[in-house]
Amino acid sequence: MNGDIACHGCDLLVNVAELKEGESASCPRCGHFLTRRRPNAYSKVLAYSVASLILLVLANSFSFLSFGASGLESVITLRETPMAVWKYGMPEVAIMVAAFIIVIPAMILVLLLILCIPLERGRYRPWLIPVAKGIFLTQNWSMVEVFIIGVIVSLVKIAAMATVVLGISFWAYAGFSICFTLAVASLDRYQCWERIEQLGAARA
Amino acid sequence: MTQVTAASKDLAACHVCCKLASSELHHCPRCGAAMHLRKRDSIQRTLALLVTACLLYIPANLYPIMITDQLGQSEGSTILGGVILLIHHGAVPVALVIFLFSVMVPIGKLLSMFYLVWTVKRHSRVTPRQRTVMYQITEFVGKWSMVDVFVVAILVALVHLGGILGIRPGIAALSFAGVVIVTMIAAESFDPRLIWDEMEEQDRGS
Repeated sequence: MNGDIACHGCDLLVNVAELKEGESASCPRCGHFLTRRRPNAYSKVLAYSVASLILLVLANSFSFLSFGASGLESVITLRETPMAVWKYGMPEVAIMVAAFIIVIPAMILVLLLILCIPLERGRYRPWLIPVAKGIFLTQNWSMVEVFIIGVIVSLVKIAAMATVVLGISFWAYAGFSICFTLAVASLDRYQCWERIEQLGAARA
Repeated sequence: MTQVTAASKDLAACHVCCKLASSELHHCPRCGAAMHLRKRDSIQRTLALLVTACLLYIPANLYPIMITDQLGQSEGSTILGGVILLIHHGAVPVALVIFLFSVMVPIGKLLSMFYLVWTVKRHSRVTPRQRTVMYQITEFVGKWSMVDVFVVAILVALVHLGGILGIRPGIAALSFAGVVIVTMIAAESFDPRLIWDEMEEQDRGS
């Protein structure tokens, strides 16, 4: 049973014990992706996480978009997007937007840091298991890349009505969405849990 | 190569950490998450959520998703109305993007999930592998329908110039966000392994 993995798509048992560094495995029956052994996986996750955390702070510090027509101008920050929806009487939608574009991604980034620093240094820590669970249970609910498309669609929609200027925060958020996606994609579920188990067993 | 499934060896796979353990355990020995051989009541839960999504989809299309106030006049626009308006303004590419994410993706997602639930207990001409790919695509495109909700949020925040021009969110924004979230949970509740279980039973029967 050592090195066996059950495909999440069709439950086929596949042995991945001989997977070499840099190789990935997919299910031979249904084609579902199984696992990939990335060289220096944890330092890559850390690098992307630190970069996206810095970019997220920048994205929250400057103006996001500005909109001007007939001499009047309105400037918004990233935070004001959900806040405006709240103000117009839709707190549920506001909470969802804030959660999907800022809160959940920020939480995942912090969790990635406190998970991957010990994993990279080969130390066992008691919080590894709950932290990894938190990451894998919430990662589907971050929508940073969807939000970027939303911004672009909005811009094209109102470009005819007025002049729209992209602020520093927009570019920071665009960079953040790329780094964040790479950080999450660099963490392999199976390999990460095997590593946690190894470190736990070595300590005991 | 003989094809052995985890279930045939009485092994359950943890959906959080991939650990294989005896199917008699209720919790994963590695991460402590609840563990089952197959997702619990997968078909029932998925169907219930799909019906919820269908019901939410009705107000999402009938009511305005955003309301534009211009010089004292209010005008609401629905999802489809917005697409038609954009075509009239000549912005065909954006109209197509919105049509794809807000109309095609949610409807396609609902149809393909209903189809998968329908065929799971029946023989289908579509092979299990093709149905698994269908499921994976449905799961992947799920969150992309949120684009329209984000567009409304951005426009509401950005477009207000004194008393001349303003945009408010309409009630459809809430129900449409509901559709997206409920269908995402529906896709998560569906267990694609059931498609293959059925095929194996048929193989054993013949």
